[in-house]
Amino acid sequence: MSTPEDIRRRPRAVRIEPEPAIGFKDRPLASEASIERPRAGKTPIVEITPDPFAFDTLALDPEERAVETAQKRGIFRRSVVSWSGLFWSALGGLVSLAFGLWVTKIVDDLFSRSTTLGGIGLGLAALAILALLVIAGREMVAIGRQRHIAKLHQDFAKAHAADDQPLARRLVADLASLYAARPETARARKDVLALRSEIVDGRDLVEIAERTLVQPLDQRAQAAVAAAAKRVSVVTTIAPRAIIDVAFVLLQAVRLIREIAQIYGGRPGLLGFFKLARSVGAHLAITGGMAAGDSLLQQVVGHGIAAKISARLGEGVLNGLLTARIGISAISVCRPMPFAAERTPNLRKVVPFLFRAEKPVADDQSSSATPNT
Amino acid sequence: MSFFADIIFEARSLAQTLSESVGTPVVRLGVTGLSRAGKTVFITALIQHLTELGAPGARKGRGALPVFRVMAEGRLTRGKLEPQPDDAVPRFAYEDHRAALTGGDDGANRHWPHSTRRISEVRIRLEFERATGLRAGPAALIIDIVDYPGEWLLDLPLLDKTFAQWSKETLDASATAARAALAADWRAFTLSTDAAGAADEIKAREAATLFTAYLQACRADTHALSTLPPGRFLMPGDLEGSPALTFAPLVLKPDVFYGGDTLAAMMERRFEAYKTHVVRPFFRDHFSRLDRQIVLVDTLAALNAGPAALRDLETALSDILQAFRAGRNTMLSAFFRPRIDKILFAATKADHLNHTSHDRLEAILRTIVSRAIAKADDAGAAIDVIALAGVRATREARIGKGAEALDAVVGIPAAGEIIDGETFDGVAEAAIFPGDLPTDPKAALHGETLYGSSAEADYRFVRFRPPMQNLDEDGAPKPLPHIRLDRALQFLLGDRLA
Repeated sequence: MSTPEDIRRRPRAVRIEPEPAIGFKDRPLASEASIERPRAGKTPIVEITPDPFAFDTLALDPEERAVETAQKRGIFRRSVVSWSGLFWSALGGLVSLAFGLWVTKIVDDLFSRSTTLGGIGLGLAALAILALLVIAGREMVAIGRQRHIAKLHQDFAKAHAADDQPLARRLVADLASLYAARPETARARKDVLALRSEIVDGRDLVEIAERTLVQPLDQRAQAAVAAAAKRVSVVTTIAPRAIIDVAFVLLQAVRLIREIAQIYGGRPGLLGFFKLARSVGAHLAITGGMAAGDSLLQQVVGHGIAAKISARLGEGVLNGLLTARIGISAISVCRPMPFAAERTPNLRKVVPFLFRAEKPVADDQSSSATPNT
Repeated sequence: MSFFADIIFEARSLAQTLSESVGTPVVRLGVTGLSRAGKTVFITALIQHLTELGAPGARKGRGALPVFRVMAEGRLTRGKLEPQPDDAVPRFAYEDHRAALTGGDDGANRHWPHSTRRISEVRIRLEFERATGLRAGPAALIIDIVDYPGEWLLDLPLLDKTFAQWSKETLDASATAARAALAADWRAFTLSTDAAGAADEIKAREAATLFTAYLQACRADTHALSTLPPGRFLMPGDLEGSPALTFAPLVLKPDVFYGGDTLAAMMERRFEAYKTHVVRPFFRDHFSRLDRQIVLVDTLAALNAGPAALRDLETALSDILQAFRAGRNTMLSAFFRPRIDKILFAATKADHLNHTSHDRLEAILRTIVSRAIAKADDAGAAIDVIALAGVRATREARIGKGAEALDAVVGIPAAGEIIDGETFDGVAEAAIFPGDLPTDPKAALHGETLYGSSAEADYRFVRFRPPMQNLDEDGAPKPLPHIRLDRALQFLLGDRLA
């Protein structure tokens, strides 16, 4: 009670003048006098502060809702219960039965020719099965991890909205353990974990974790998006055939989504990638309307100016922007926490070079590192 | 007699559970709290927010309970009051309390509901849509809540005590520094009374009167002591003046048998009768079958009164909460003896201080109820501690500028409240900085000081008047403001409304 840090401030009261229009004319004069009573020289100023419990600060924003919906449609989707899921599982079962039959037949044939050949065949088949099991296991792990990250994202959004300290503490530990295998995050992890035992509001804790742990990953992810967008715009500008454009854009999109997933959590695997791609697609569809004011206009404008220089150049810019939008959606879906302290990246921030229409994009490729114009 | 009543009760409750397992699910929400903890206001606010979904004021924007997911996600379609199951118990006077809080059209008469004098009950039916799971689609949940005078809760620890035990404890407690002065009259009388003397109604009545006066004095604002059983002495309800309330602790010698016609035997008989006919039925009918529990604690009043009052509150709450059955439900227990699987401890009246102090307030409450938390935690119940205000009477402000700025609250202090040398008239608005709470919650419990109304107190929390009714642009009343009511609801009911 007498430690120096614990100097307590005394209770204090300051009357507030009612606005004259309301008219408390019949108020006793004595209390009027007490308002005027000088206190330590003068009456201090009372300033109303923003309401920390206002709905706006508590509710989930539409962007966050879009991410959660997208995650629900892809990552959290349990495809087994649907009819199409049933169809594919049944078909998959049939195909694997046929495959098994084929393998046993081959091994039988081999044995009928010579025991050695049969032994080799059997060994190879066993190896194939082992590898398949390992791959399947890895797929499961990857899907589980993805789901875990998406769950983390939702819980962080909840903790941030509700300023829930116990939940935030738990989640921050979870987040730190997620990146435990990355040596470059060691310092940030230690700082964040130390903060858990101090009196930090839930919301602040979430934001600190975001700034220290996730922000470096954001930068890497955004750099990846920028690089992919750049590649796409250059290749589509110079590619001779439309089919090459399409193939390249698709390939780059797939690569980009995988890369971003890897930056935030881990390799998604094949099944995991499908789920992820579905989520990214859903997010693109939802936010497409939302971002109409932002990106569509920019795309049209950007296309317009570039197209004046060359039709192919304009196409390149447009394809680059499309790739960048896919990348941003992938970031939103893969990120283990919502954008709270940081701002959601927009096209202009991630791929600024595509908007610099004064300079041909192809040139930009070489000189994008140096800030110009 | 009471044994048969218990058996009949158990049979009835089993039948009820069976019927509920096919019909609409029911959640019995135990709103627990000593007197003045804010039970009635909490229940009123809860009903208001859940039933006035369709009110234009609540429709605007994103809804008034953003953390309460079922509401924020727009899945709650309707909430309404239904006739309660017990016909013998009056209905919770929601409309009256609501009117008291809003105070008519101009709000000039608004005041907090008067202290509860009798038990009442209310049943809310929520209609919503399940979002996930096998039973997605329309569903309903019934919430049963009981409101009762908080003083009655003090009786629960008596159930396990004999008259001799209780006498000794009460006498010991009355000798402590905080209470000695208040108990002087009654102690003098009791110490001079011979427990082995002949049973004498006049003497018994005098002892009861003095004892009641002592309990009443302890409860006054300046002392705010809590451990004051038996509760009916403070709030007799329908039993006012009946012989069941005419007893008092006596000085009993250990190992002495007091025969049939002595004063001690008479008192003991009445004490046992009190337990059998008053305490046990109250507990059995209203508390033995709770599913979820919220424990409201008026930490601020105890802080106002000083460490002794806080320690007293700690004892009272620990004793009371021993009586409840907490723990994770198994398949079997869910059927036969449901346990309370979620307990929320709430420091009420959180609007009396700035939100920057809420963490410290929560820490103090956590310390006060630590024994109850440990017990419930061991049993597997989910626990949370929050600072809450069912109805929020203040806004937040900052006094002064720069490094010396104080985080304060702005509201209209109730008439007669004194802080910092100023007395308020119930009309003037003021910015109040109630003083810093200690960083170490244990510091609040140390020391013998009884602050009373003295000026040297480290903190002073004043009572505010209820907030003026806010109207939206269309002139429809907005729901009453609150602090973390939505979080409380999400914790208590969220999983049943998933």
